[in-house]
Amino acid sequence: MRSFLLKRLPSGLVVLLAASFAVFLMLRLIPGDPATTLAGPDASPAAIAAIRARLGLDEPLAAQYLHWLGQVLTGDLGPSYAIGGQVSGLIGDGIAATAQLTLAALLLVVVLAVPVALLGASAGRRPWAGALRALTTGALAVPPFVTGVLLVGVFAVSLRLLPAGGYASLGDAPDLAVQYLALPALCLALPSAAILARYLQDGLERALAEDYVRTATALGVSRRRILWRHALPNALPSAVTVLGLQVGQLVAGAVVVERIFAWPGLGQLVEQGVQRRDYPVVQDLLLLVVAGYVTVQLLTDLAYSWLDPRVRAL
Amino acid sequence: MTGQVGAEVLRVRGLSVAFGGRAVVRGVDFALGAGESLGIVGESGSGKSTTALALLRMLPGGGEITGGSVELAGQDLAALPEPALRAVRGRRIAMIFQDPMSSLNPVLTVGRQLDEALRAHGGRRPRAERAARAVELLDLVGIPGAAERLGDFPHQFSGGQRQRIMIALALAHDAEVLVADEPTTALDPTVQRQILRLLARINRERGTALVVISHDLGVIAETCSRLLVMRDGEVLEQGPVQLLLTDPQHPYTQALLAAVPRLEAPSRAAANSTPGREPLLVVRGLAKHYGPRRRRTTALDSVDLELHPGETLGLVGESGSGKSTLARALVGVHAPSAGEVLLRGEPLGRAGARPDVQLVFQDPYSSLNPRLTVGQIVAEPLIAHRLGDRAQRRARVAQLLEQVGLEASAAERSPREFSGGQRQRIGIARALAPEPSVLVCDEPVSALDVSVQAQVIELLARLQRELGLAVLFIAHDLAVVRQVSHRIAVLHQGRIVESGPADRVVTAPEHPYTASLLAAVPTLPTTTGSLL
Repeated sequence: MRSFLLKRLPSGLVVLLAASFAVFLMLRLIPGDPATTLAGPDASPAAIAAIRARLGLDEPLAAQYLHWLGQVLTGDLGPSYAIGGQVSGLIGDGIAATAQLTLAALLLVVVLAVPVALLGASAGRRPWAGALRALTTGALAVPPFVTGVLLVGVFAVSLRLLPAGGYASLGDAPDLAVQYLALPALCLALPSAAILARYLQDGLERALAEDYVRTATALGVSRRRILWRHALPNALPSAVTVLGLQVGQLVAGAVVVERIFAWPGLGQLVEQGVQRRDYPVVQDLLLLVVAGYVTVQLLTDLAYSWLDPRVRAL
Repeated sequence: MTGQVGAEVLRVRGLSVAFGGRAVVRGVDFALGAGESLGIVGESGSGKSTTALALLRMLPGGGEITGGSVELAGQDLAALPEPALRAVRGRRIAMIFQDPMSSLNPVLTVGRQLDEALRAHGGRRPRAERAARAVELLDLVGIPGAAERLGDFPHQFSGGQRQRIMIALALAHDAEVLVADEPTTALDPTVQRQILRLLARINRERGTALVVISHDLGVIAETCSRLLVMRDGEVLEQGPVQLLLTDPQHPYTQALLAAVPRLEAPSRAAANSTPGREPLLVVRGLAKHYGPRRRRTTALDSVDLELHPGETLGLVGESGSGKSTLARALVGVHAPSAGEVLLRGEPLGRAGARPDVQLVFQDPYSSLNPRLTVGQIVAEPLIAHRLGDRAQRRARVAQLLEQVGLEASAAERSPREFSGGQRQRIGIARALAPEPSVLVCDEPVSALDVSVQAQVIELLARLQRELGLAVLFIAHDLAVVRQVSHRIAVLHQGRIVESGPADRVVTAPEHPYTASLLAAVPTLPTTTGSLL
C-alpha cells in the first residue's frame, strides 16, 4: 500500500502540473480579453491598459503562469477578475453543493447498476433479459437535459412528489436536502449507471463462462451462490475501473444538471467564469477538477489491486 | 493398482448427446462398480469429455442428452430435476478438470473455495469445523503445511499443487464416484506421476470409484483397471486394461496403440538425415534474467549449444526450466542478458533481421490469426522480411502449402476451417516461408492427437531431409524427443545438465535429473505382437 502510493503519487503530480499548463494556455487561446470585458464597451485604450496592468496581464505569459502556480501552492488564490470576491471564497460557496450532488449521483450509479447487472447476468436467455437491455440502452441514449425535463414533468409537475428545483444543505436539513437531491442526482446518475451496468453484466457473463464456474457447478454450488460468490468478485475489478472513469462524466454532467435544477453548485461559477474571461476562477476550478480526477484514479487503482489478489502481490 | 470392486454404483445405458441437433455421443454403455477404476480413451472429437460432462448433466450451451440414462444407484440422473441434480454434484459424483489454473477461482483463497465446496451440501456445520475439514482435505492430497495455506490464492501454488487442490475439492463429501477429465494433461511428467499416484491411492484406500478421461493411454494404464475406447461418439471396445493394451481387438485400438511413441524405441533421426560437420548455430554462455537486480529471477544460466545442419537437437525440461525462453532468445523475441548466438560464425541481429531462424509454435489454435486467410498467414514473414513482390509471394505460398501436404487452394480459406494437425502444417509453412536454415519447434506436437502427432513428426522429418534444416525440437514428451532427435539436451533450472546422443541419454542417463524425468514417463505394457 505504501509502496503503491509512493510509486503512483509522483505520476499524479506530473499529471497535475501538465494539466495546469494546459488549462492556463487554453484560456489564453480563447478569443476575448478579461480587461476589455471588465472595462466595458466604451472604455478608452488607456483605461484598458490600466486594468491590464492591475491584473498583471501585461507581464510575459511565463511570469503569469509562475505567479499562478505560486498562488496555488501557497493556497492563496487571490481575487477574481470580474465576478467579485476571493476565488477561494467563490469556490468554497459552491463546492459543498456540487460535492453533494456528484457523490449522491455516484452512490445512485452503484445502487442502480449492480442489481441490474446481476439480474441481467442471471437472466440468460429468458425474455425479460431483452427488456433489461432495452432499459439500459434507453438510459444511455437519452441526454441529461431531456431526462431532467422528463423527471421534473413526472415527479414534480404531475405527481407533485418532489420539488422541481432548489437546494438545502445535508447538514442543516437532511430530509429536505434528500428531497431536493433526488431528481438532479438521478438525472445525473442514469447514463453512468447504464454504462456501469453494461460493463458489469458483461464481466459477470464472461466470468460465468469460466472454468472455475464449471468447477463450482460440479461441486454442487447453487446458481445464486455462483453468481454472487464466484462471478461477482471476478467481475468487480474492471467494473471499479469503469466507475472511476465515470466520475469524470459525473463532474462534467453536473454543470448541465445544476443548470436544469437551479442547483447552486460550481457549474454556474464555471459558466460565469468562462463568459466573463475570469481567468483565476476558471483556472483554479479546472485544476480542482483535475486534482479530484487524479485522486479518484488513484483510489480506483488502489481498489483494483485490493480486489484482485494477483495484482495485489505485485 | 485397483481397489476392490463392489456393487454397481453407476450404470450408463445408451447415453446419447447432441449439440444443436448434431449427435456427438451415441449410445454409450458402461457400468462402474464401487471402488472400480475405468479409463475412457479417445482422440479429440471422440466424445469422451462430453460423456464425462453428461454424467452430471453439465453440458455447455446448446448440448443436451438426447437418449439413454445415467443411473446412480438406480436413480436416473438424466431425468432428475435441476435442484435434485445439484444435490448429486460434488456429493455423490465429483469431477476434476484439466487446467488447474483456470479451474480454480483466481480471486478466492483456497480456504474459501474448500469452504464453498463443504457448505454446498450437508447443512450448516460450524465454521471452525469446516476449516478443520479443509485442512484435513489439503493434508490428504499432500499440500505441505496445509493449515497455513488456507489463506493463499491459487496463483501462489504450483501447477501440480493446484491440481491437488482440485482433487481436495472433489473429495470434500466422500463422493462414491470421482470423474477426472484429462487430470494431468497440462502438467510435467514428474508432477503427472504424483497426481496419478494420488488418484490411484484415493481409489484404492477410500474405495472411490474412479473414471479417468484421457487422450493418453499411458495415463490410463497407470491408474485404471478397465479401459473403454471411444471414437466419433461411440464406444469401440471395453475390457480390462491389461488385456486391451496387450491384445486389442478393434483395428482402431490397434492403430492407436501403434501410434503411441514408445520410450524404448530407438531414435530414427540418424536414418532420416546425417548432420553436417561444421556447426550452423552456436550458442555461447546465453543467460536471461527477469526483474529488478535485487529480486531477479534467472530463466537461463549460461547455456551452451551447438546445432549442425540437418541435425535435430531435442531439448527437454519441465515447466520453468527455461525451454521457451531459450526458443524466444534464439529467434530474437527476447534479447539475452548475456552470451551470444552465432549463425555460421556471425552474431545474429535483432528479430526483424533474422529470417534464418524461424519458430513453430505449440498451440495451432491460438497461434494463427483467425481474421486472416491461410495465404495471408503464410505470407506474413515474407512481407516482414520484404521478400518478393505480390505475385512472387503468392507463388511461394502455394509452393509452401504443397510442401507441407496441403492443397494450394487452402490459401484462400480461414484457418478455422482446418483441423489441429492441418493448422500445425500451416504454422510450419509459415515458418518455412523465408527459407530458414534453423527451425525452432516449441512443443510442436503436444497439443495434437497421437495419430496426428505421428503425421506432423513425419512431415518435419521429410522437410529436414529435403531442405537440410537444423531443428531444435523442444518438448516434454521424452518418447517423441528420442524418436526424432540425433542428440538430446536436458534443461533444468536454466542450465543444461546433460547432453549427448539421443539413445544414450535415454538408456543411460548420467544426470540424476534426467533419470528422474525418465522414471516419470508412464509406460504401456508391450503388445503381444512385439513379444512374438
